[in-house]
Amino acid sequence: MTRLEIEWPDAMEERLRAARGRLEIAGEALRAMSLEARSNSTARVLASWTAPDSPWRRELVTAVAADSPFHENTVREGLDSALRAWKPDVLVTCVRRELSAVLQSDELVLSPFAWTAILAGGNIPMPTMLSVLLPLILGSPVLLRETSNDNTTAALLKRSLEAENETLARAFEHLAFKAEDPAFELMLEAPCIVATGSDETIRSLSSRIRPDQRFLAYGHRFSIGVLGALHRLDEETIQQAATGFALDVARWDQTGCLSPVVLYLVDSEPSARQFFAGAMSDALERISAQLPRGEITTAVAASQTTERTEARMRQAANDSAVPTMSFEGEDYTVVLEANAEPRPAPLHRFLRLMPVDSLEELTRALGPFRGQLSNVALAGFSPDEADALRLGLMAFGASRFTTPGRLQTPPVDWPHDGMPLLSPIARFVQSD
Amino acid sequence: MNRSEIETELLEWMQQTPWRPDPPRFERLALALFRFQYDSCEPYARFCRSLEKSPANVDRFDEIPAVPTGAFKEFDLCCFDLDATIQTFRTSGTSIDRRGRLHLDSLRLYEASLLSSLRETFLCELRGQQPLMRFLAPSKEEAPDSSLSHMFATLLAAEAGAGSGFDLRHGQLDLDSLDRARQAAGQGGKPILILGTSFAFVHFLDATAESGPDAWTLPEHSRVMETGGFKGLSREVPREVLRGELARRFGIPESSIVNQYGMTELGSQFYDSTRLDPAGPRRKLAPPWARVRIVDPATGHDLTPGEVGMVVIHDLANTGSIAAIQTADLGRAICNAEDETIGFDVLGRLEGAEERGCSIATDVMLAASLREPPR
Repeated sequence: MTRLEIEWPDAMEERLRAARGRLEIAGEALRAMSLEARSNSTARVLASWTAPDSPWRRELVTAVAADSPFHENTVREGLDSALRAWKPDVLVTCVRRELSAVLQSDELVLSPFAWTAILAGGNIPMPTMLSVLLPLILGSPVLLRETSNDNTTAALLKRSLEAENETLARAFEHLAFKAEDPAFELMLEAPCIVATGSDETIRSLSSRIRPDQRFLAYGHRFSIGVLGALHRLDEETIQQAATGFALDVARWDQTGCLSPVVLYLVDSEPSARQFFAGAMSDALERISAQLPRGEITTAVAASQTTERTEARMRQAANDSAVPTMSFEGEDYTVVLEANAEPRPAPLHRFLRLMPVDSLEELTRALGPFRGQLSNVALAGFSPDEADALRLGLMAFGASRFTTPGRLQTPPVDWPHDGMPLLSPIARFVQSD
Repeated sequence: MNRSEIETELLEWMQQTPWRPDPPRFERLALALFRFQYDSCEPYARFCRSLEKSPANVDRFDEIPAVPTGAFKEFDLCCFDLDATIQTFRTSGTSIDRRGRLHLDSLRLYEASLLSSLRETFLCELRGQQPLMRFLAPSKEEAPDSSLSHMFATLLAAEAGAGSGFDLRHGQLDLDSLDRARQAAGQGGKPILILGTSFAFVHFLDATAESGPDAWTLPEHSRVMETGGFKGLSREVPREVLRGELARRFGIPESSIVNQYGMTELGSQFYDSTRLDPAGPRRKLAPPWARVRIVDPATGHDLTPGEVGMVVIHDLANTGSIAAIQTADLGRAICNAEDETIGFDVLGRLEGAEERGCSIATDVMLAASLREPPR
């Protein structure tokens, strides 16, 4: 006998309406919990993920490795290192810090949104996890639209919430559907919407949202490394920087906004730059043995081949004293450029090293990308130089400064895109 | 063979109608042209040497090193004294995003190539009939370094009838002028040909969205040619959606809407097959003096038909620059029932963009930053 299954065109809308109905009920119970209780409970859920022997993390590694283009080692290392950096007590402290006015006074109270819609993007699990936990702390139930690139994180997170606290778990629903599905419009009815995606997507969403809705968007960002005068650094420091940056590049195959796409070499002599480029290439070669690059699409391969060929052509045809040099491995590319002109970044372990004479030239080179900088790793600067750099790069949107090897492992309270964690999705009421 | 001899033979080939594919002739001319360009363009010769390729060890056209289109931003890739340049075409872009440039010391071959392709695949039976043409693109006077404007001006001079002209001025569409031409064609029972950039057609569709169902219906045998991407100049519309919308608005069959695949760096262009072969699958056709290869980006080897790979073009009309061009576009070869390659298809590169996270390749980001004022 044949079983006939019919998917009605509005099936997802119905499922979404049902989920919203369940969240409405779950929201009452969630709001009945105190902020402190929600915060502590959420921290315990986080702890169940960050523990050295976390079964959730183990399961997520297997699932993400099976469903994503990343190599299993890369997924394991990426999740282990990122979640190890997330301290549950730091989350609790962050809640207390950001919501101290609510916790310490009766004049200001939270007025949680009836529900929060999360439109996830990309295929790295951590941002999705945190984006779900934060509204729950604030007392707002969450409806998550998963990306087609990650259909496991949400289900596992739900199970981990169930294991800790039924009330929290019931306040979280997740669905997967295409942007063309009519259900998408229902998501956009949420009083609070958090979206991650391309600038194009964000633009399109923001034009469809009413002024009375809260909209928090995480658009295009990229991270960089900046190295001080290489010729003044000893070989060990250079090797350490190269090893650290190689790890930053290899993690998630350079596809996150915390991945460095360019390393700027400030005031370095040509021979020192070449030495560093070689060290960088060697470090990427070494790390590829432990964390092999995952599969790449034909489009990415085409983009990398094009950029490699262009670099080779610049290398062959340019007779300047400081030529372009291309270092190519099986699954990585390092191009030492002759200048800091903006060039495409095909990602997936394609790193450019760009020389700049001074910090002023660095800011000129970053000019076209003002506002789009995310994290910056610094090495080889004196404390005064580093301070000047931080000040200069803040204007470009940099929201965190760190050291090589730590770009992809921000603490849980990192102000993503310069914003506090909770305030942008919180609603307050004052009584005086 | 020297350049003059190569060009003489190519001109004769371009004037043959219908097109006469001749693979041995292509191979012979391609190798002769490679020898000339290797000897005449130092940046290209150095690039070839870095790949250990030279006329001494290249025996087939598909072994000729192809330069990426981006190299036209870096170098003046020409095989003559730059002072002899009479025309330079530039790719779109700004001072931040450097513009590629194609220098020409003669327009004879360039124009012969573009006219031959337009006549064979777009004008078809209207060749020599001087049909009415309107262009939704800037005129040559307004955009002197645009290869597209030059192409339209050349077509206008060679084939267009009275009343033909440009309906995009200073970035503004002149719908009244276009409508007057449409009505004039209709009253005379003559077809009208509308050619322009894809984003101009999107603006046209947006501007005429409230028009009545037949307000923009074109006379029988009318046709449309659209080309180029959107580059942030209009909303992005998938090619097949644009085609469908244009067909409905103009009241013409989709087979009368022809897309052109071309680029500033090339002397030849590639048109949809639907005017020439309405019954066959829609694909791009290459003129006999151009060959399109679909290669594996990792190995550079040709892929079997149907497989998606990088588009590499060997265009013999590029005598004064470099004939072998590696694009960053993806495509696949299209075969007939006998498994013979009969054309190719160019695929979009933005698939999956919506699902991207916060990270983005900087070419896309740079394009975005060029469209927006600094925050």
